[in-house]
Amino acid sequence: MRNFPKHVMVFLLILAIPFAVCAQFTVTGTVTGVGGDPLSGASVKLKNSTDVGVTTTASGKFSISLPGKSGILDVSFVGYKSESFSVDPSTGNLNIALAQDASNLEEVVVTGLATNIKRSNLANAVASISANDLVGTTTQATLDGALYGKFTGANISSNSGAPGSGISVKLRGVTSIIGNSQPLFIVDGVYYDNSSIDNGLNAVSKAAAQGSSVLQNNPSNRLADLNPDDIERVEILKGASTAAIYGAKAAGGVVIITTKKGKSGKTKVEFSQSTGIQMQLRKLGGRTWDAAKVEDAFDSLGLALYNAVGGKTFNYEDELYGQKGLMNNSRLSLSGGNDRTTFYTGFTYENDNGIIRRTGYEKKNFRVNLTQKAFKFLDLSLNYNYVESESNRAFFNNDNTGATLGVSFISTPWWIDLHPDANGNYPNNPVATSNFLQTRDLITNREKVNRTLLGGTATFKILNSGKHNVKVIANGGIDYYTLNTLGIFPKELQFEKEGNGTNGLSTYGTTITRNQNASMIAVYQFSASQKLNSRTQAGLTAEDVDQNTVMATATQLIGTQTNVNQAGAVQPYQNKILQKDRGFFAQEEVNYNDIFIGTAGLRGDRSSRNGDANKIYYFPKASLAINIANMPFWNWEQVSQLKLRAAYGESGNFAPFGAIYTPLVPVIYNGTTGSLIDVIQGNDKLEPERQKELELGIDFSLLQNRISFEGTYYVKKANDLILPVVIPNSSGFTNSWQNAANIRNRGVELQVNAIPVASKDWNWNIQVLYWKNTAIVTRLDLPPFNTGGFGSTLGTYRVQKGLSPTQIVGTAGPKDKVDPISGLGLLGNSEPDFQLSFTNNLKWKNFELSVLCHWKNGGSNINLTNFLSDLFATSPDYDDKTLDPTGTLSNGPYRLQESNNTASIWVQDATYFRVREMAVNYRLPDFIKGVSQIKVGLSAHNLINVFKYGSYDPEVSNFGISAINTNVEVTPFPTSKSVHFNVSVTF
Amino acid sequence: MKHSYKTFAYFPLALLIAMIFLFSSCKVEPISDPNNPALTSIEQNASIGEIQNLVDGIESGMRDNMAFYFDDAGAIGREFYRFSTSDPRYVTELLGKGNAELDNNTFYISRPYSAIYRVIKNTNILISALKNTKADISEAQRKVGTAYAKTIQSYELLLAFNLEYGNGIRVDVADPSNLGPFLSQEESINAIQDLLNAANADLIGSLDKFPFSSSIYTNEAATFSKFNRALAARVAVYREDWAQAGTALSESFFDLNGSLTMGAYYLYSTAGGDQLNPLYTPLNTSGETRVVEPSFITDAAPGDTRVAAKTSKRNETALQDDLKSDYDFYVYKSNTASIPIIRNEELILLYAEAHAQLADPVNAVKAINIIRHSASLADYTGATDLNSLINEILKQRRYSLYGEGHRWIDMRRYDKLDELPIARPGDNVWVQFPRPINEL
Repeated sequence: MRNFPKHVMVFLLILAIPFAVCAQFTVTGTVTGVGGDPLSGASVKLKNSTDVGVTTTASGKFSISLPGKSGILDVSFVGYKSESFSVDPSTGNLNIALAQDASNLEEVVVTGLATNIKRSNLANAVASISANDLVGTTTQATLDGALYGKFTGANISSNSGAPGSGISVKLRGVTSIIGNSQPLFIVDGVYYDNSSIDNGLNAVSKAAAQGSSVLQNNPSNRLADLNPDDIERVEILKGASTAAIYGAKAAGGVVIITTKKGKSGKTKVEFSQSTGIQMQLRKLGGRTWDAAKVEDAFDSLGLALYNAVGGKTFNYEDELYGQKGLMNNSRLSLSGGNDRTTFYTGFTYENDNGIIRRTGYEKKNFRVNLTQKAFKFLDLSLNYNYVESESNRAFFNNDNTGATLGVSFISTPWWIDLHPDANGNYPNNPVATSNFLQTRDLITNREKVNRTLLGGTATFKILNSGKHNVKVIANGGIDYYTLNTLGIFPKELQFEKEGNGTNGLSTYGTTITRNQNASMIAVYQFSASQKLNSRTQAGLTAEDVDQNTVMATATQLIGTQTNVNQAGAVQPYQNKILQKDRGFFAQEEVNYNDIFIGTAGLRGDRSSRNGDANKIYYFPKASLAINIANMPFWNWEQVSQLKLRAAYGESGNFAPFGAIYTPLVPVIYNGTTGSLIDVIQGNDKLEPERQKELELGIDFSLLQNRISFEGTYYVKKANDLILPVVIPNSSGFTNSWQNAANIRNRGVELQVNAIPVASKDWNWNIQVLYWKNTAIVTRLDLPPFNTGGFGSTLGTYRVQKGLSPTQIVGTAGPKDKVDPISGLGLLGNSEPDFQLSFTNNLKWKNFELSVLCHWKNGGSNINLTNFLSDLFATSPDYDDKTLDPTGTLSNGPYRLQESNNTASIWVQDATYFRVREMAVNYRLPDFIKGVSQIKVGLSAHNLINVFKYGSYDPEVSNFGISAINTNVEVTPFPTSKSVHFNVSVTF
Repeated sequence: MKHSYKTFAYFPLALLIAMIFLFSSCKVEPISDPNNPALTSIEQNASIGEIQNLVDGIESGMRDNMAFYFDDAGAIGREFYRFSTSDPRYVTELLGKGNAELDNNTFYISRPYSAIYRVIKNTNILISALKNTKADISEAQRKVGTAYAKTIQSYELLLAFNLEYGNGIRVDVADPSNLGPFLSQEESINAIQDLLNAANADLIGSLDKFPFSSSIYTNEAATFSKFNRALAARVAVYREDWAQAGTALSESFFDLNGSLTMGAYYLYSTAGGDQLNPLYTPLNTSGETRVVEPSFITDAAPGDTRVAAKTSKRNETALQDDLKSDYDFYVYKSNTASIPIIRNEELILLYAEAHAQLADPVNAVKAINIIRHSASLADYTGATDLNSLINEILKQRRYSLYGEGHRWIDMRRYDKLDELPIARPGDNVWVQFPRPINEL
């Protein structure tokens, strides 16, 4: 506030505005950025006004009507330094060139339910991702995939390569052991359901029948329904210190998504088309065979088969995974508006074929966003989104019946002929229980979703006196979808016919989810003086969840019929999830001259998920940011920003659904049904899991914000974690739900942004992100236990006090480090040592090159694909002699022999380096009248991959979105890479 | 305009204040389990239908993991071997091979133990439900229904006691968060007897029916008393209270001239979701099978028809871990055959034992002969001193109750475990199972 008198003048001026309504003048101009390119969507507004403002058109032009006889215009755009200009009726046409800002200090960050804050005043490490960061480089099928590598503190992994596949997002380490560990997604104020819903295929795979009760069907999660192209920006609240305001559901973090809004001015029409192909990310190849090897592995029976085909081999990897899947994404959007009304409407059609025949993903997305200044005191906005999608996902992952494509593929040597005859009859696979070509061609595993998202906000501006500013924001939303899962396994399949299976199986499931939420928040802004102002907010929130899954699984099918009643036996299943949450919060922010910015808040939550639905759980938060560079004594011009920040907050996580209930389960006896007490005792005294996070950070910017640095250290404690604890069995129960464990995460997140080159023709932007997290179990009220995986001989997770919750243990060999208590080898940890991502954006004239590299160092996977391929003697490197130090055994037999002594053979390093996104774009010079921009480009996804890990992709999880026991692979759907050709035209 | 602006504008503020007021006063309606009947609601106010479900749950649950119980008793009592390629512990730990010890956290004790107490929990739920239900059930019906629950409870406790024996068991388990103490061996079996007697006091002579239907024995309280007394006779004999055994027998369904198979059974069926008889062992299977301990064949009296009825000669000798047998265990001929809980043949032998112990050899021999005749054997001609009679009764029990879980317990009662045949040198015979780890 160095220009104090001027500000007073402006202040008085603004106070005078209401009394000078008759006077009015218009200012026009153009806003340009890097290399003189016009900036579309830049904000031009009257200083300190909430009403008077416009945005620039696609060609960077604006026209604004201002009241009175003069004023100050604030011009801002994300990624650029804001500028202010004094204007009056004589100003005429303004040409404004904004300078780039690596630190994004002016960026407005959404951090709460109703308010936002300038990044320079933020006391937390909130990550923001703009539309350009998200989808600017390459086409993205799903939002979660588009996020990875673009902010610190996340561990994101796709569970498999199947179309529409589930993705696990974990923020800042381990949040829970068996509870939810995924963040809460909120789209324009609507709580966005991200359930993983079972598809019922366990009835075929029986994967969860023996040993593990965790389903391994790899269900998709419903975040896939969100169209990344509609997103304007994403804010990620990683831990409780920022997410506390979301209270009892926010332990996994919160991802706040804001979709695109129209901007007043000329209607903007944007059409873009992306066409690409996807292919298998990494081919493993097959074993080369000769008669001796065949006889060794498959005896005389195998040799006879081998000789019958004359020693010919087929490349089944190419046949099964070799499809070059065509990907198509067409998009049309219209946006515009006037002073009172804006609209945005977008339509996307996406159709991707998978790398396996008869797999793919198709999505139709339609969105309308409207805003309306209804009255002087009332702003309205409405967001509507309809999505229809269908994914065909083949049949993969672990099974106990040998029926999945993956297991069948890995257990079949390539000299077995599985091809159908001229009449389309498939031979039985003589060495395995299924013929994967037959399975691929005959089964159906389909998911269909119809989803409607409706949200609305009403902002009542009750008082706007300059000193006092009061508004009330009412917000409500509905998220409604129907998910259909369809699984058809015809009776002619090898594993269904001749007594091998159930003579055909058909499963049909319907899940209807209807979630609603509403909130009402009052915000009172008080400017005590030029230097001191405060913001007080308080509100009420309500969320209801209603999910109902009904599934029928039919076996003994009649002929080729697939209706579930055309069957000899039908097994129905139903599961409901109901939840009601009511909360309130209050928060006070105080800002002294942009030097000290302090916040304190409290959230209280009631929920039917708690044993006592009416007990209020409180989640406090507090934070302080100190902008040292804004202090009066600061005169070190090179350092334009220096901020110290500290934040503390708490948030909650509910017990798994049903844990508060002690149910009686149905049993069949003598022709009737009975009720027998369940073996796990519910506990209505359960406390929610509670996360406490302290975050400390330092941010600074150098050389007119050409270089900025953000460093954060956090301690995140996940306390009172809920587990089914073994209790004396004479109670009638084997386990009881209890709050029994604490986990502490500590981590570091560093971010450097720089603009090394900014000239007329050249512009170069760099972003480097580094993050690491270490977790440790600090309390465990029960004996250490193994979890996940398939037992200690193959590697398993183990929760033990004093050790990492994501450690992988197993049978120990002489070289392995052994835990003295369990006697098991400490073989690895699924948590990476660190992750580093590197974004480069280079512009030369109209050309633009963008590259996003991601290096995940360390972290282990349990690679059971490798185990199975060795067991079935089909590993590509089976005959190489690179592992045995004595040089006697070839790799396959060596691994199998060693695995008798140590499970470390299958616990493999999952380090990778990956060029996640890469693109070259060219903006055509303006040559067609009426067309403001044409952009063409080539882009690629996961094109370059470097890893030693012995399977398709180190980024994999057989167990879906489990909290800790991920990173296990059992013959997954291989992941893919893709290249795209993109054209976009803006009118 | 100015006026309406204010009216509209202050409206939401008023609403907000109202909502804050609402938040503090209005409650979140608790949601009961949408997927299953909840324990609390059933204990507090069960419908007639829900009470019936509890009974069916009990009778279904009684069968859970009983295969382990019968395999435990059959293997340690050296009646049959349980061969299993997937789990060698049946022929190592259960048979005390070499230095092998019974483990306190392994399926052979943990699974039957937890299943037994799960049923006991269901009986306690039934007792609470009968006490609190607002359904139209008379006081007398509540009383006899509770007596049913207690009878089943004491039978389940007896099974737990048979496994734990000298370690004693917990009897008072009504409150999971405040479990009663472990009783001594003697206190345990006495508590079981007391529980049976208390239940019987409400059953005997009652004119009422249960307020539900049971498949175990009967729905008539007075008739169910006969089942209760049969169990009481078994318990009295275990307690060596011969006089009470005699009284209990006389009040039970015991019938010297009746069918030997008359009694109470576990039922099985092929209906979807129902259980199959887990002791049914298809003939000549390898891998997972049950085969006869060879001395059962060689020790048999010539012409004893029970041997042929309960075993079957194999095509090939079954082998595992230095154990072998030429005979399949063939007590159950199908996977839906019922398994006895208690039946008249045992009662007749309990009668013989009680009378032998009460120095009444005449009646003892009379009962022995009924059993011998049923097996096509001639009258008993041996000595009639107590020791000789007991040996004869133990032998008849061995053949009559083969595979029904008695041999181990009978030999233990008479301190004769060292007389059980040891086919593999170095094997040991266990007296009892260790207390499960989850109870420590």
